[in-house]
Amino acid sequence: MINTRSVEARLIKNIVFKSLVFSMSFIVLIPLFFILFYIVKNGISAFSLDFFLNLPKPVGEIGGGISNAIVGTLLLIVISSSIAIPFGIFIGLYLAENKVGLLPELTRLCVDTLQGVPSIVMGIIAYAWIVIPMGSFSVLSGGIALSLMMLPIVVKSTEETMSLIPESLKEAAFALGAPYYTTMIKVVIPSSKKGILSGVLLGIARVSGETAPLLFTAFGSPFMNTDILKPANSLPLLIFNYATSPYDDWQSLAWGASLVLVLFILSLSILAKVVIKK
Amino acid sequence: MGAQNFIRLTEAKDLIFKKVLGLCGLIVIGLVLGIFLTLLSKAALSMEHTGLAFLYQTVWDPVREHFGALPFFVGTMITSILALSISIPFSFALAIFLGEYVKDGPWSSVFNTALDLLAGIPSIIYGFWGLFVLVPIVRSFESAMGVLPHGVGIFSSAIVLAVMIIPYSASISREVISLVPEDIKEAALSLGATPFECITKVIFPYAKSGIFAGVLMSFGRAISETMAVTMLIGNSNKIPTSIFSPANTLASIIANEFAEASEELYLSSLVELALVLFFVTAAFSLIGRIIIKKWVLDK
Amino acid sequence: MKKETCILDIKKFNLHINEHHILKNLDLPFYRKKVTAIMGPSGCGKSTLVRSINRLNDAIPGVKMSGNMFLYKKNLLEMNPMLVRRKVGMVFQRPNPFPTMSIYENVLAGYTLNGLKLDKTEKESIVADSLEKAALWDEVKDNLHRKGTFLSGGQQQRLCIARALAMNPKILLLDEPTSALDPKSTARIEELIIELKSKVSIIMVTHNMGQAARISDYTAFLYLGELIEYDSTEVMFDSPKHSRTKDYLKRKFG
Repeated sequence: MINTRSVEARLIKNIVFKSLVFSMSFIVLIPLFFILFYIVKNGISAFSLDFFLNLPKPVGEIGGGISNAIVGTLLLIVISSSIAIPFGIFIGLYLAENKVGLLPELTRLCVDTLQGVPSIVMGIIAYAWIVIPMGSFSVLSGGIALSLMMLPIVVKSTEETMSLIPESLKEAAFALGAPYYTTMIKVVIPSSKKGILSGVLLGIARVSGETAPLLFTAFGSPFMNTDILKPANSLPLLIFNYATSPYDDWQSLAWGASLVLVLFILSLSILAKVVIKK
Repeated sequence: MGAQNFIRLTEAKDLIFKKVLGLCGLIVIGLVLGIFLTLLSKAALSMEHTGLAFLYQTVWDPVREHFGALPFFVGTMITSILALSISIPFSFALAIFLGEYVKDGPWSSVFNTALDLLAGIPSIIYGFWGLFVLVPIVRSFESAMGVLPHGVGIFSSAIVLAVMIIPYSASISREVISLVPEDIKEAALSLGATPFECITKVIFPYAKSGIFAGVLMSFGRAISETMAVTMLIGNSNKIPTSIFSPANTLASIIANEFAEASEELYLSSLVELALVLFFVTAAFSLIGRIIIKKWVLDK
Repeated sequence: MKKETCILDIKKFNLHINEHHILKNLDLPFYRKKVTAIMGPSGCGKSTLVRSINRLNDAIPGVKMSGNMFLYKKNLLEMNPMLVRRKVGMVFQRPNPFPTMSIYENVLAGYTLNGLKLDKTEKESIVADSLEKAALWDEVKDNLHRKGTFLSGGQQQRLCIARALAMNPKILLLDEPTSALDPKSTARIEELIIELKSKVSIIMVTHNMGQAARISDYTAFLYLGELIEYDSTEVMFDSPKHSRTKDYLKRKFG
């Protein structure tokens, strides 16, 4: 019955398929390599002390830097984290503790929906909620837009880690007469702190590269600003504005800023992995 | 008695704690509802003024207050479908590569790290890179082909978009493939099937609704992508005539015009675009999740 | 039965989970400063019973309890569960020290989790005393501030016993405390239980008949949620009255 020829044909098909899968997988590495190559090549040549310490300068003047964008990005991270982390942990705890029921299901659905909201829409929302009532673009509105993007990430990682905590640990606390809230705050949350921390780091990594939510909120500014009620620059905004400008030295600043941003995000994601493995 | 008071206090604290947790859940629901209602109310003016014509009119001319969104729907669809058709074969290849051929070892970590990196690079940097590296290449390709060499346009943005969604769709496909029980794979192999036959005749049919859901979710992801596309698509409000034409997507038109829009109606029309975008992405991710959930439960 | 002081008197106790009748009309007195073993085939409800005494079943959806459990004159089932649990310590099958806390903090967990404040000397004496009682002090006294999870399984279980003893419970419940341990650690825990009974009344679930025979003063035999026989361990093992008990002792139920 078994025809050797057809077996051969099948084996050849299998080899062709396997080599196709392998070669296509390797092809994916090519764009990654090129992107990293250009960022590192063009970025490093922009690096200097001035680059990190100075403000951007008008076209033609040399020695412009990105200090205001670095400060702005850090401010945005602080604002968005201080909103998204506490809320995210509590919502994650709520979902991990309440697996069934209408309200938890609905909450879970809304977390998923929130995660899917396009970043540009978040910008419009923060514009409508904060910029219009306060009458000005501001770091605060940008931070709030970013916190909306960070929230689902923190919620999901919290819920996931907390769901892995064995019931026996909670029972150990209850059996000692501990009330529910101390069991949660002193046993469940500390036991999941690695997972939460790694989620927080990933969330920060995610929002620190976001541009679209900042276009009509933090808006960008050529000056140094630490007042959260005023507009400020951020690394992605600077990259956007300078990359689309026709001037070489501005483009060079944008490459430098890209390298800073990529290195920052990369170290956050490495840290997130290290934290969870330890 | 002291102990009684202490217990009463503790019970009260417990109750408050549980209420606060529930409240946090409600806040998320409130946020999503708030986002929806805000978009709806800000888009009301445009809906009233342009009505359903908004969805099919072909001219977007803010100066004459003529708002037809069709060019952006077409731009979004073509860009996303093109990007998806480029990226899906690669995503599947990676999912099979990492899920079936190279499950662990150094190559697996190389590829996992590469995917993490691809996913971690911000959209703005993809756009920047595309503008300076990819666009000149596409431009010379276009002149060689004999089309108008814009460089920027649907084609360039679709390529970059494809690279950007590979990590996302690869990770979903991988998850779906990993849900296929090991024993049915082994059953196929033990009957003498080659790995190729096992994948195409056992795993794919078994996982097809999950894979379909993954494609839907990737599509939702593609249409919501903003910055890279904004920088590469060429900012044209005309209906694209070929895959090399400059165009605008829903997300890119908002990014390009929202900050400069000063007229009420103009702003409102842009918000209506955002509302459509919100709806479509929410629907895609929701339907995708429902299909996956149902698929997991059915099996 | 001899005259003993009854510390916990269970009267007409019933437990349902949804429509399943898990524990049926139990009447069971437990005696002061004695070790009482609860035996029976798996699924007989022995774990459910000790968990009920600690009120841990309260939180499980669908559980309904009726009857009385008198700790001295007070009905445990009508008290606040948090108060009950401070008077009734519990040790589980698998050692479950809190992984984020040191040995020192684990022993004091009952106080910190209940928001009870102690000064440093009180803390130190409670830690030393409880670890002494749990026969763990000599092994860990130099590593008190290391994490409890570094200990061996048997040591972890003794740490859990110390954690329960730190609250000065009237009763210590042990739910198959050695089922996850190796023979050597088991022997160590068994010795400990015998030492402990001069200080606290112990109720222990076990499926190991040898263990019950070795360390308990009284033995109760449960079958499908009913109390079949209850007597001093001697009587139970030498001359059981009920045929089910005899069968079980001959390992007919496995």
